[in-house]
Amino acid sequence: MTEPTRLALRHSSLNRRGFLAASLAGAGILAAPAIVRAQPKEMVVGGASSQQTWTNEIMIPAFEKKYNIKVVYEGTRSLVNLEKMQKNKGSQYLSLVQMDDPVMITAVAEGLLTPLPKVVPNAASLKPGVTHMDGMWVNYLQPWVGIAYNTNRMAAPASWAEAYDPKYKSRVILPGLQNTEGVMNLFLASFLKTGKPMAEAQKDMDAAFAKLKEMKPNLLMAYTQEGQAYNLLEQGEAFMVYGSISTLALARKARGAPIELAAPKEGTFSMPSGVALVKDGPMPEMAAAYIDLMLSPEIQAQLAAATYALPTNGKVPAPAGLDKLVIHPIDWANVSANRASWVTRWDKEMSL
Amino acid sequence: MKLRFDPVLLLALPAAIYMVIVFAIPVVVLVARGFMGADGFTLSNYSSFLSEPFNWVVIGNTLRVAFWTTVVCLALGYPTAVALARSKGAVQVAMLIAIILPLSVGVVVKTFAWQIVLRRDGIVAAILVATGVWDEPKLLLFTEHGLVMGAANVFLPFMILPIYSVLKLADPNLQDAAATLGAPPVFRFFNVALPLAMPGIVGGVSIVFSLATSMYVIPSLLIGDRFQTLATLTGRAFLLMRNEALGATTATILLFLAVAIVACSALLSRGKGDSR
Repeated sequence: MTEPTRLALRHSSLNRRGFLAASLAGAGILAAPAIVRAQPKEMVVGGASSQQTWTNEIMIPAFEKKYNIKVVYEGTRSLVNLEKMQKNKGSQYLSLVQMDDPVMITAVAEGLLTPLPKVVPNAASLKPGVTHMDGMWVNYLQPWVGIAYNTNRMAAPASWAEAYDPKYKSRVILPGLQNTEGVMNLFLASFLKTGKPMAEAQKDMDAAFAKLKEMKPNLLMAYTQEGQAYNLLEQGEAFMVYGSISTLALARKARGAPIELAAPKEGTFSMPSGVALVKDGPMPEMAAAYIDLMLSPEIQAQLAAATYALPTNGKVPAPAGLDKLVIHPIDWANVSANRASWVTRWDKEMSL
Repeated sequence: MKLRFDPVLLLALPAAIYMVIVFAIPVVVLVARGFMGADGFTLSNYSSFLSEPFNWVVIGNTLRVAFWTTVVCLALGYPTAVALARSKGAVQVAMLIAIILPLSVGVVVKTFAWQIVLRRDGIVAAILVATGVWDEPKLLLFTEHGLVMGAANVFLPFMILPIYSVLKLADPNLQDAAATLGAPPVFRFFNVALPLAMPGIVGGVSIVFSLATSMYVIPSLLIGDRFQTLATLTGRAFLLMRNEALGATTATILLFLAVAIVACSALLSRGKGDSR
């Protein structure tokens, strides 16, 4: 064996020993996660990956600066967050969660959340309709749903009824029922058909489908991928996307697309966006402080501007022109219980 | 005759192991799931699916679109394959590149391009109006016609290449020989050219048909949520409704249709092969 080879071997065996020691230490850490989690000054927030940007850019810097504590944001999907809480019951590592309202209902039913109002002072200044199930969760923003229209092709629609006008033959795009904003169209259709208050209209699906079928001649398509819908809208092939989320539509407008989002006079709905305290989660006081900051007027104003959503704190003025926009509450328990049957019915009655 | 083990067969072993793990086992699990009820084995998933008239519409949609896609691919692909087999040198290379290169463009990109082509102010509508076929621009996008056009574009190479690979092995002199013996063109086509090409045609048809029955991205982008096929219904059952029993049922029916088509065409091509 030549000298360099022997040296190299010795060197590599040293490396191997070092590696072994390191991996043993690593395994020790993995085997005792509670120790790592119990380390102070780091709080884990579970949320959606779509909320990662504003969380990292606005929320976390503001909180870390104020409380001198590190926040880790785990961006995934609502159902994954639910699963994390279910699996770790008794030794939760998430302090708070941001999830869709329907998933919150399940989490409440399984005893995974703890009420907010007493520990979150700013919850007192929230607008009506954004605190749910006696404060189990609150909406931190209201991404509202309107009619996105191509400004080169038509004037602002004043009412949800306008899309039924025959002059828009095959120019209207609807979201499919797989998309949450599509479900809201059923409520609007039922409301237009029956004239009942929105809360009652949400229960009358016969009226909803009867009305929505009247829109068939005007339908260009129903989308599952919103990117395609905006593409068609911006090219002028479609005139309106009927049920368009402010966060998406106004972000595209801000990038120069010839579109605008109309807020119809009948009022509208907002996309689910709840935040809640995890029951028996670590650092409950810090978690409450985080939500309190999130609901504070300063942060609310920043978040609303960044996401084109409505603030939920009543002290923060709504964007210009939207101060009178009514956001109707949605009975999410009703949606969760019936959505699958609505989708089946949609397939049959709205098919080409 | 005693069957002797050929060690060369072992070369297929890595692929076989891989496919068993990533394909065979999941398929068995999937198929089994469709026959599972609350208390063991059941046919109720199938009986409830097939007793719903709308689901027959879905099966009809799937087969009809796949059929027309295959017809268009065959009508365009067969002459192309003949020309390709006849061509020589640089022309043949250019043709092959033109056929194979589009395969490297993703389906999503292609489908988005079709969205532009099939628009009311798109090029297809412009041509049809200019040639007087249409009085005014009509909508092709989000119709079955548009879907078939787009799908045929994506799957065309899978029709051309099998036919070409068979034709290039056929002796071109056979055509001339038949002509010398006094066979008129139509007779030559049906009795010489077509039987020679048949294994390739059967192969192309089975590939295109099974691809077209199971396509998912193309219909969701070219016709949208209002036209359900077995593939889109399967996707929705798993991803949105979390109804595994329904998803397993539709997926198994789809699998059955695809396997039936491949099996039938294998039988057909074997019959043709023997008669040669």
